[in-house]
Amino acid sequence: MKLARDPRLDALCGEYLLGTLRGRARRRFERALREEPLVAARLRHWEALAPRYSSMIETPPPASAWPRLERELGLSRYRTPWHRRVSIWRGWAIAATAAALLAIGLQILPLQHTSSFSEIAQLSGAGDAARISAALSADRRTLELRATRPVLAGPSQSYELWLIPAEGGAPVSLAVLGSLDARLALPQAQAARLTRGAKLAVSVEPAGGSPTGAPTGPVVFVGAIGA
Amino acid sequence: MRSDADIKRLLLATAARGEGAAEAFEALYKACAPLLFGIAQRIVRRRELAEEVLHDGFTRIWAAAGRFDPLAEQPLAWMAAIVRNRALDLVASHDVSRVDSISEEDELDRLFDWAPAAEDSVDAGRASRWLRDCLGELRPQERQALVLAYDRGMSHSDLAVHLAQPLGTVKTWVRRGLANLRSCVEECMDTAR
Repeated sequence: MKLARDPRLDALCGEYLLGTLRGRARRRFERALREEPLVAARLRHWEALAPRYSSMIETPPPASAWPRLERELGLSRYRTPWHRRVSIWRGWAIAATAAALLAIGLQILPLQHTSSFSEIAQLSGAGDAARISAALSADRRTLELRATRPVLAGPSQSYELWLIPAEGGAPVSLAVLGSLDARLALPQAQAARLTRGAKLAVSVEPAGGSPTGAPTGPVVFVGAIGA
Repeated sequence: MRSDADIKRLLLATAARGEGAAEAFEALYKACAPLLFGIAQRIVRRRELAEEVLHDGFTRIWAAAGRFDPLAEQPLAWMAAIVRNRALDLVASHDVSRVDSISEEDELDRLFDWAPAAEDSVDAGRASRWLRDCLGELRPQERQALVLAYDRGMSHSDLAVHLAQPLGTVKTWVRRGLANLRSCVEECMDTAR
């Protein structure tokens, strides 16, 4: 795509990439980048030309730098537990297949709700992301979410669960969550709307939930009730 | 160094925040930290400040990975921009003494890798060559101002001190240098079509 060549915009992009755009002018430009798709597109056009540094300038950082990052970002929460690492799993695959054959007829799915809950929806995401099972208690006052594997929000994010009514209209927020294994109390008005044809969706929001009352981040899981 | 495709895959796995995001981020760090640390050191000139820049840079990369554009051709450039921006903020708030090294033209070939990467599209490979050729055609003082600003993170006033010229003069060199570079590259693009 060829955009109109605006010499003033190009000059700003150039000084931004070069690093000579500083202070308030730089922040103004960064705001325009977020708000004006044309500015972002023009910057990308020039960015693609930026020279690559050669590997000659590589300098190993101190060994203490990674452990510090890992600690401060709380990365241990995002590590694959040892029993799910693929390399270990592969060694067990044959034995596990045999075990699975024996287990046919038994409940072997990991999504198990407590007995008084019945599943009303399965939420799935793109690709091979986890699936979320949503189940409602017999008295319709409690909604329970179970994920096929742990899904945790990052330090600056929350998940928000939305109800998209069957009759259409704006999504209604049901809960702000840090993990998608959760149990939440349902307000009566909301419980009545969990009917066939309505949908449940999970979006990624800033920590504490959507600032606007409507989903602002990407929807990562969605599923229809009664489907 | 890993390929752009690898780096992109690691960035997207980091952004997904699922199980294994920490492993992906660690692999990303191992692959890119030496280059990004090198870039930070060239701008801030002091090792302990460069360590701060690297730490803050990767903290931002972790937080902003979800905003990485999966269509971007150069994922490393996206990360380098975050680190460069952090380094520029830091030199603005510290008195970092700047010294040495006039950028001769051959330094351009020592610092940057102009050969197209194996996975570059034909366009990107040619563009890299054009940029190098066009830099060679600039007036020496314009080229020097651009290289010092980009590589050393010098502001207009840093350049004025370093090159012992009035501020207005170096601003003009930067502005004209960029404009000449831009029209030269655009000419190459147009004739190639």
